Amino acid sequence: MERLIVVVAALPLISALFIQLFAGRFGRSVARFSVVITTLSFLLSCLLLALALMGSEAQALPLGSSAAILLFDPLSTLLATIILGISLVVHLYSVRYMAEEAGYGQFFVLLDMMTAALLFMVIAGDLITLVISWYLVGVILYFLLGQDTRSQTAYRFAFWTLITYRLGDLPLILAAALLFNAYDTWSLTVIFNEVMANPNAHQVMGLPLTDVVAGLIGLAAFARSAQFLLHTWLPYTMDGPTPVSALMHAGIVNAGGFLINRFAPLFIHSSEVLHWIFIVGLITAIFGSLLMLTQNDIKKALGYSTMGQMGFMIMECGIGAFSLAIYHMFAHGVFKGTMFLSAGGVINHARHNDGIPKDELYTFAVEKQPNKVSHPWLLMAAVTLVVPLVILVFAHLLVSEDYFQKQGAVVLLFFGWVTGAQLIFATYRMRSQNVWRLVGLSILSLVIVVLGYVFISHAFDQFLYPDPAFRAQLYSAATIDLLRLDVLVAIVTLVVVSGWGITYFSEQYGHRRRQKGKRLWLNFYALISREFYVSDIYTRLSRTLLTISGRLNVWLRWL
Amino acid sequence: MPELLNILLVGIFLPLFPMSMVFNAILENVKPNWLRVILFILWPLIGLLIVLNSNLVTPDWLLPLALSTSFLYAIRMLTLREVNQWTGFLATSIWSLLWLPITQGSDAALLYSFAIGMSVPLVLLVLLATGLERRFGAAYTGLYGGLARTTPRYAGVLVAVVVAAIATPLFPTFFFMLGMVVETVSSKPYATLALLLIWLFWSWAGTRLIQGLIVGRASNSKIADMDITSISFYSIVLIALMVSGIYLAGVIL
Repeated sequence: MERLIVVVAALPLISALFIQLFAGRFGRSVARFSVVITTLSFLLSCLLLALALMGSEAQALPLGSSAAILLFDPLSTLLATIILGISLVVHLYSVRYMAEEAGYGQFFVLLDMMTAALLFMVIAGDLITLVISWYLVGVILYFLLGQDTRSQTAYRFAFWTLITYRLGDLPLILAAALLFNAYDTWSLTVIFNEVMANPNAHQVMGLPLTDVVAGLIGLAAFARSAQFLLHTWLPYTMDGPTPVSALMHAGIVNAGGFLINRFAPLFIHSSEVLHWIFIVGLITAIFGSLLMLTQNDIKKALGYSTMGQMGFMIMECGIGAFSLAIYHMFAHGVFKGTMFLSAGGVINHARHNDGIPKDELYTFAVEKQPNKVSHPWLLMAAVTLVVPLVILVFAHLLVSEDYFQKQGAVVLLFFGWVTGAQLIFATYRMRSQNVWRLVGLSILSLVIVVLGYVFISHAFDQFLYPDPAFRAQLYSAATIDLLRLDVLVAIVTLVVVSGWGITYFSEQYGHRRRQKGKRLWLNFYALISREFYVSDIYTRLSRTLLTISGRLNVWLRWL
Repeated sequence: MPELLNILLVGIFLPLFPMSMVFNAILENVKPNWLRVILFILWPLIGLLIVLNSNLVTPDWLLPLALSTSFLYAIRMLTLREVNQWTGFLATSIWSLLWLPITQGSDAALLYSFAIGMSVPLVLLVLLATGLERRFGAAYTGLYGGLARTTPRYAGVLVAVVVAAIATPLFPTFFFMLGMVVETVSSKPYATLALLLIWLFWSWAGTRLIQGLIVGRASNSKIADMDITSISFYSIVLIALMVSGIYLAGVIL
């Protein structure tokens, strides 16, 4: 039965081939064929996921006599189902959405090929299949984003995506080559078993192989998941068709989280890499969120929102919460996919009726006019800080008593507390007849979200990493010195609480900024509005390289 | 000294800068289509024939020179707009990498397979360039564009051939590059880094070529698209290349 995973991955390929060959004969109805095949593949993947949930043993399935191996395990079955679920929705949406576009059949060929490449990527049991599918995802995405062949802009930004993805391919290829040289096999299962048995058996240029490979895997994940400095392609690739944006933001961009999860046995034995991953994720989350808030173009704001979410996902990996990253990937995928696919409907509806109720939420969120709070601030501060903490602590105690022994979990708890407190802080600044009712509702929604998040992520943890010792090792690999952690938490707490304090007092007593502070603020705003000059620097570097190339050609007489 | 002369001679066929300029000078002056095709097929084979029959002892500086040659032509490809010239530079960049398996003492049959597998997409590109010259008067990127709308079948084949030429899976050049990375990663890390950079530049140059030809509005004048027989020919060759790529992967990886 487990062998069905081969059929699941092969079906979209068959569909792509059929459409390519018979699009001329069957016309636009080929899209329906593609939908039927994707549905079939999705149903099969659900069956396999059910098998995995019922406790079927993980298996490595060789493809005939070749070196190619496919994996049937919790991670591959879960991700295959998620990919096919999102792909099916995108297929259904595209049947009508793309009907007026040129290259209708070709679009479905590419969509099916992308689905197949993603499937092979998540079920790959050997390094060659993984590298090939990882590479092909970038190539196919380039052509999907360039579906409108009249648009130079679409291709320009599709190229940004491709070149960043290619940059991300290189570390993965390097990691694969290093692993093959060390273990003389392409099989991931064999490599992981050997790493677990003897983690320090190999060195590369004086460094432990596990550290080097984990670092390279991290780099590959950063490029694919738009981490800071490798993110510029994401907010700009909005010229592609909406279904492609949905697929990209809901699925493809999450591949970094998958890759880190796939190589979890290596990360367990790497010393500092998870800490670096955490730092990169944290920086990305901060910069992504900051840039999202300052965009006046809603599409770019969505792009930066995805970047921030990817930062959180990578950060979760960095603290050892690997399965949480997968849950985050799933939750964000569904959320962002829905946003993109419903965008057209919202725009159409807004043309007839802007639908904006001039209520307190609108005044607060859009017009940025918070209420001048007249409630006792000490009481509000206490509610803001204490309530989320109490909710989070109790919710986590419900799923696991030793939760607070894991440092990564404490870090997550801290972020959860900051987010919850921010929610309540924002709520009581809204203009409202009954602010306590509003705060009460916010707390209730926080309780529901936290409980849902905690229980579901705990279930993901049990399913993806059933071995408690392995889970403990993951958290332990991400652990840092306790004193350093305490200092870090204290600093971040101080920064966050000071931010709240400044906001509260400036809104309570009016904006009395000094001239010097204002200039500093304007400079900061300019920096953000230019998106920290990252894409400008890349553009300048590319132009320099092209100039060098041109000059070389002139000097060498084009020979 | 005779050894050096021998290397200089081989450096014309298995490109080593500055002898690599000879091939590109010849290519520029050869106009008949069939002669260009022969040139692309035979050139690296002649080089291999000389190397394999001359008991050549490769000096230490040869590999860095070969990698530099490949790197130089990969960078120069970025700003080339004439398709034949672009193909010539890509050929130079690819063929100079054949020095890697030569210095590693690879089997002769494997070397010939590499050379043919890497040259066939280039031959297809030369044929496509001729088609462009016939239709538009020149095979030049950024000049007319919009091939995806004007001649969609032609554009489709062109994209597939460029993709095959720039070492994309599952074509032979991809497995050659992967094999070379695996071979060098432990013994010559500098060569690995050079290979990866060269590979990246091929992708960059390939996308620039594709964008310069297929993107844009459709031409107002009626241009004949590729006929079914030609499409079948290109498709069969590309499928054969993929199959041979997978076979090569089984041999070298």
